[in-house]
Amino acid sequence: MSLVRLRDVSVDFPIYQGGSRSLKKALLATSTRGNLASDGLDRITVRALREISLELVNGDRLALIGANGAGKTTLLKVLAGVYEPSQGTITAFGKVSSLLDINVGLEIDATGYENIIMRGMFMGIRPREMRRMAGGIAEFTELGHYLDMPVRTYSAGMMVRLSFAISTCVRPEILIMDEWLSAGDAQFLGKAQRRIEGFVRESSILVLASHSMELVEEWCNRGILLEHGRIAAMGPVSEVVAAYRRLVESGSAAVAPAAAA
Amino acid sequence: MALALGDLAEGLRRSWLWAALAQQDLRLRYRGSVLGPFWQTLTTAVMIAGMGFIYSKLFRIRVDSYLPMLALGLIFWMFVSALVTESCTTFTAVQGIIQQVKLPFSVHVYRLLYRNLLTLAHNFLIVPVVLLIFPQPIQFWRLLELVPALALILVNGAWLAILLGMISARFRDVPPIVASVVQVVFFVTPVMWPLAALGAAARWVELNPLFAMIDVLRAPLLGVSQAPYSWTILIGMTVLGCATAFAFFARFRHRLAFWV
Repeated sequence: MSLVRLRDVSVDFPIYQGGSRSLKKALLATSTRGNLASDGLDRITVRALREISLELVNGDRLALIGANGAGKTTLLKVLAGVYEPSQGTITAFGKVSSLLDINVGLEIDATGYENIIMRGMFMGIRPREMRRMAGGIAEFTELGHYLDMPVRTYSAGMMVRLSFAISTCVRPEILIMDEWLSAGDAQFLGKAQRRIEGFVRESSILVLASHSMELVEEWCNRGILLEHGRIAAMGPVSEVVAAYRRLVESGSAAVAPAAAA
Repeated sequence: MALALGDLAEGLRRSWLWAALAQQDLRLRYRGSVLGPFWQTLTTAVMIAGMGFIYSKLFRIRVDSYLPMLALGLIFWMFVSALVTESCTTFTAVQGIIQQVKLPFSVHVYRLLYRNLLTLAHNFLIVPVVLLIFPQPIQFWRLLELVPALALILVNGAWLAILLGMISARFRDVPPIVASVVQVVFFVTPVMWPLAALGAAARWVELNPLFAMIDVLRAPLLGVSQAPYSWTILIGMTVLGCATAFAFFARFRHRLAFWV
């Protein structure tokens, strides 16, 4: 049984280095979709998420879509328990496995195998147990002898394979993924999708942020469109994707999604 | 408050995690060298031998009393100064992990302490050799003092890692400042030169907290008594430091993920 419930969650991002003028200027000038405000100490705060309420239950595959800076990654980090909300509450039952950034958490000087053991430890799996599962992980990645080489020699797609295989080696109850997944090739994406479908059938929750509408429509059944840190649309994935396309066409999404995907 | 305590306890419970990570740190640091972490031991040994003979001539001190003092001083200095400087990167060095998985923050603190303890253990191999070649009037029961001394220093390392680690994550110019201060302190700390050489001015030098840390470890191994205030300074520093760091941790722990 897994469940995630967010009630009126807001996240304020303090930009401390904003004290320097140039960055402040830069921030205000860019097309950041968050809402800039100054707090009492003249620090810039970005309200990255505003009053987000949502509930996810077994079998939900949620897509997060929206322009760059709409709050997708922040919401993923709140769901992963990395960021504590500034306001509101989050309740989550279930073992969370998060894949937020490919390079992050990979020790690039260590070999693929060493990284399997290390990433496993961060997921709470002891080295002995992880060594037992290493064979299966290696097989899934299809990286072969590359696993004995330092990760710094890997291509982005190879890192995706490795990270994905490790993070999904034990069935996660709540799997949280950011958009980098698209670095994998078509064959791997198909394989990854089958694995995730297996999990979701066994009542896991998937939350995926992506700019690729094809990927989102194929992988997810529900969707949330984020705009300026707010939920602009929520519902079946096809409806939300349509809402996003209308938004892009009307030109109010300043950042073209194609460029970012 | 309870959450901060919980973090510290939960981190302790994951000893298998930080112990393995600390070992991995050392393995990666010395990857590709035949000697592994013993490379560090060899470097320290060569430095002690070289400096021991030359500086004993410069200071006109007999090498059999100068070299053991220098050896122990340097080994313990490397330990405590690394605790201070590495404190600054407790959290920023593992930014990727903090941003990706929810873990007790204290795991990173314990990892740092254990890594430095392992490094000290490697360097410490030099000590019995030096003491065999240049025997000192050691009273063996006094070696027991090493236990509370090391324990207190590790506790100090813990609060430093929490406090400096958090401050450095928030203000990025802190680590270079700390590094420069530590470098300057090295020259005013009796590591390379004997305290007695200062005469009456020695009592000011004795107030240096880093000297207090080195002194409580070094004195029993040289068979001399500690400077009068070393234990007091160390204990006082532990109490004050822990209180400050804990208050800070309890207050700002939830912001740390945004700082790194």
